[in-house]
This record gives sequence, structure tokens and C-alpha cells, in this order.
Amino acid sequence: MLVVRKSHAPSATKRVLLALVIAIILFFASNLVDEYRIFQAAQVAAYLVAIISIVLLTGFSGQITLGQGAFMAVGAYSAALVVQEFGLPIWSTFFIAVIAAALFGAIVGISAARLSGPYLAGATLALAVGIPALANAVPILGGEQGLSFDVGLAPGKYADTISPYQWLFWICALCAIIAVVAAANLTSSGLGRQWRAVRANETAAALSGINPARSKILAFMVSSGFAGLAGVSFSATVGLVSPSGFTLSLSFLLLTGAILGGISHISGALGGAIIIVIIPTIFESWTEEASLSVATYLPGIIVSALLLLSIAFAPEGPSEALHKLRHRRREP
Amino acid sequence: MDFLNIVIAGVSIGAIYSLMAFALILVWRSTRIVNFAQAGQAAFSTYVGLSIETATGNYWIALLAAVLSGVIIGAIVEVVIVRFIVKHSTSAATAAVAPVIAMLGLLGIFQGLMGLIWGGEYQAYPTAFAREGLIIAGNQIPFSPSDLFVLVVVVVAMSVAALVFQKTSLGLAMRAAAFAPEVTRLSGIRVSRIRTLGWAFAGGAGGLAGVLVAPSTFIAPNSFDLLLVFGFTAAVIGGLDSLVGGVLGGLALGIGLAVVTGYLGGSFTFMTAFVLLIIVLLIRPQGILGARGARRA
Repeated sequence: MLVVRKSHAPSATKRVLLALVIAIILFFASNLVDEYRIFQAAQVAAYLVAIISIVLLTGFSGQITLGQGAFMAVGAYSAALVVQEFGLPIWSTFFIAVIAAALFGAIVGISAARLSGPYLAGATLALAVGIPALANAVPILGGEQGLSFDVGLAPGKYADTISPYQWLFWICALCAIIAVVAAANLTSSGLGRQWRAVRANETAAALSGINPARSKILAFMVSSGFAGLAGVSFSATVGLVSPSGFTLSLSFLLLTGAILGGISHISGALGGAIIIVIIPTIFESWTEEASLSVATYLPGIIVSALLLLSIAFAPEGPSEALHKLRHRRREP
Repeated sequence: MDFLNIVIAGVSIGAIYSLMAFALILVWRSTRIVNFAQAGQAAFSTYVGLSIETATGNYWIALLAAVLSGVIIGAIVEVVIVRFIVKHSTSAATAAVAPVIAMLGLLGIFQGLMGLIWGGEYQAYPTAFAREGLIIAGNQIPFSPSDLFVLVVVVVAMSVAALVFQKTSLGLAMRAAAFAPEVTRLSGIRVSRIRTLGWAFAGGAGGLAGVLVAPSTFIAPNSFDLLLVFGFTAAVIGGLDSLVGGVLGGLALGIGLAVVTGYLGGSFTFMTAFVLLIIVLLIRPQGILGARGARRA
């Protein structure tokens, strides 16, 4: 397994320009489709950021996480809390969420960096169950009902012409674009190479002057920051921050999306996010023909089965399998 | 007296955690996989038990059916899925995390299937004995005949398991296969078959734990997630490699959580378990009885 692949990827400035072009295209495209599709696109954008946070941690740093929902919850709750308690403007909450989640991630990372394999999986699993339970128990966080979190309408005179869904989508899309560019630049930087080196061989990485523990903790911190951003976007689409929003199934769903999209590439995250948003909606149209329980549970079974098949036949995700197939001659 | 009551109540729930820890450790020893799908397997067996109970009205037949279905499900999971995953996911960069993720996929499939078959609502599970506390010297204590029944069942199950492991040639083969699979294979024992048996026993233990815990947690497709987390915590406290350690870990966790819940209230229960898990992982990663160096799996 080669660790440091020579990068054919575009430079940082090219990425920013590309992102700007995509942003402009999305801006105009959002006028062409109906509101439900726009809402779905906002969901995809929120999930995209969350999946990127998993790709960074598991795909690049090699640390498994079953509890990304917990980091999202920390970001989302801190955002909703500063709005409720201090009345800060909504735009500032995105920064606060990233910082709060990153700090929390650093603390978790300090203990997690010493764990591996099933132990790390179990600890993050416990975190995913524990953080919502804790949020439920702390009175200031609003218990079962949670806190409301509303990005509201577009400012000033635009409030009439721009629909709330469009406004929501633009906010989530902006977050996602910033996250993608940041993650792409990060992974092609020295830090990204350090993470991959530690993942491939910890001892060898240490011998070449990398501090594995510090690299792992940093990965947890950065990943958690992304997850915090995802948490705010996600809460904006729901309009609410509550314990029932950050269940274990959300964490599992995100991990599934990350695996299906391809765990070791940032570019796969979009595919993963689309899959986990689209599959349930395919079955929603069935509700009238089939029974309700089929529409509720079949998507979960299919997504889980896809996850199982993907791990069995293409452990690094279908896109990676295709990539390998194409480049087979180069990597004997 | 108050404290003693709380401890006694904790022992009964701790016994169930022990059973879950036992199931997880058995699988870990034979395959080096933490079976996160165990929550789904246990719930599925419990649902089978509930269906039989509804059909026949007999608690004991239902209990037997749940354990048997747990055994069968465990064996099927090993033969159909685990073998395949272990064989196919060893070369990729994500090899270390692949089994964990596969088990999560399996958990999702189980939970979806249960939703399809039995619906998503919480359903009550009957008990064999009364759940009201016993009355001793005019005072009602928080220890019911049902708790006593749980304790007896777990002690009997564990004793049978201990006898099988220590006194029979099958138990010897299982211990050998867990300790040194290559050498065991060379001495003419079919390690893969022993492995299937380990998963089957674990499935049975999970089914039993499900039936015993269901009267208090109710049964729904994901109602055993917490049991899984507590079972895992108990297993880690005892050292993932030691069956005796897992049983002790489960009892310690049950008593500890009961004390915290009794004095501080229910909202701290989970945090206590989580903090305990982290502390054990950081300070004594080999567990109470685990062997040194076993952690870096």
C-alpha cells in the first residue's frame, strides 16, 4: 500500500475558483427546481459536511468513529445555546459551533488516540448514545423538546423574493462548499500526508519524525470541527436541536454514507450524502401502494445491506474499487 | 439497609449485563470481532420468544424458543457473513475497521427486519414471577421474585458454561482455538466449526439476556442498544479476553450504576457507565482480569 501518492489534484487557488463556479451554478439552479428538491439538496449539503468529517477521521487518520452524531450534537447545541442565552446573530453560531465541537473533539481525541480497533469503536459508540442522553438530562438544553434553531428569512428586501427553503439551501450549500475546499486543501497538505502515514504504519511514521499521538488528536479535533459545522447545518434543516435528532442511527447512517461514497476520498462524500438522502425518498412514493411499515423499514435494510456488501466486496467503497480497476496496471 | 437494598437490586441487573458481556467476549475470543450486531440478534430472539409466548401462553416454552433461536441466528451469522468478511477484508487499508462496520450493517439489517415483522412500537414482555419487591420484616425491599429468578437463571447458565469450558473436550477445544488457532488446527480440531459454535453459544446467551431484560426495558427493534453498550462496558472492565472477568465486570457495573441511580437519580446512569468505560480503557486497558498486552488487537 503506497502511502504518499503523488498528487495530480488541482492547487489550492484552483480549488477555490472551482468552488466559486459551483456556487454560482448552484445559486441559479436553486431557482429552477421545486421547494422539496431544494430542501433535499440542503439535507445533502448538511450530510456532506458530516461525511467529510468521517472521511477525515476514519479514511485519512485511520481512526474509526461510530459516534459522529455526538460531535454534531455538541456543535448544534452550543450554536442554539448562544442564540437563546446571548442573542447572538445566526451567522456567528456557525463559527461558535465549529470551535466548540473542535475543543470537545480535542478532549475526546486525547483519550481516543490511545485506543484502537474495537476499543475505539466501543468508546465512540458509547459517546453517541451518551451525549444525547446527557443533553436530555441538562435542564438548560431543553430536555426532550430541545432548543429551537431557525435560520429565518433572507435579510432585508430579499425576504419577499427568496423562499425560506432557498435561503436554507444557500446557507447549507455555502457551508458545504467551504468544508469541501477546506478538507481538500487539508488532505493534500503536509498534515493530510502525516495522517495517512500514521494510518499506514504508525512505527514508520514515528521514525520519520511524526508524533503519531499528536497527529491522531489533531485529526479528532479537525474532524470534530467539521462535524460541529454539519450539526448546525443539520439543525437548520430540522429547525430544532433535540436529543432525538442525534441518535445512534444518525451516526450509523453517516458512517454508511462515508463507506458507500468511498472512505478514503473527499470526492466520494457527495455521492455518499446523495445516497443516504435519496434511498428513503424512493420508498416514500411507495407508501400508498405498499404498507407503511415497508416504507419505513425497507430503506434501512437496503442501506445496511449495501454497507455489508460494500465492506465485503469493495472495502474502501465502490468508487475506490472502480479507481483500482482503472489503475490496475499502475499498481501491480 | 438502604444501601444494601440498592446493591441487591443492582446485582440482578448486573447479572444481565454479565450475560451480554459473556456473549461479546465469547465472540471476541474466537474471532477477534466485537459483535455490535449482538443487540439486534438478542432483540430478534426475544421477539421470537414473545411470538411463541403469545401463541402458546407458556413462558418457559417461549424462553427456550428465544435461546434456541439465538443459537441458530448466531450460527447463521457466523457461517454466512462473518467468514466472508474475515476472508475478504484483510488487505484493504480499512481492514482494521471493516469487521466493526460490517457488524453495524448487520445490526441495521436485523433492526429493519424486526420493524418489518413485528412493527416499531414498544411491546411489553411478560415475566415468570411477580415484579413487586419482597416484603421482609414488614418493609418492602426493591428485590422482587423476578429479580431472584433472573439471578438464578444467570448463575445456572454461567455454571453450565463453566462446566462445559473446564470439564469437556469441546470446552478444551474452544479454549485452545481461542488461544492458538493455528496450533489447534494442526492438532486435528476443526477451528472453523469451533468458531461457529462460539458464535452460536454467544447468540444463545444474548437471547437469554434479551428475555431477562425485556420485562423492564420493553422490546422494540432498537431497545437493546443500551444493553449492548453496557455489556460492552462490562466486557471491557473485565478485559475482553476473560469470561470470568466479563461476569465480574457486569456485576460491578450493575451495582455501580444502581448506587449512582439510587443516590443521584436516573439521568446520571449513562454518564457513569461512559466515564467508567473511558477510565478503565485509559488506566487499566487490560481489564480487571485480562492478560497484559491484549489491548492492541
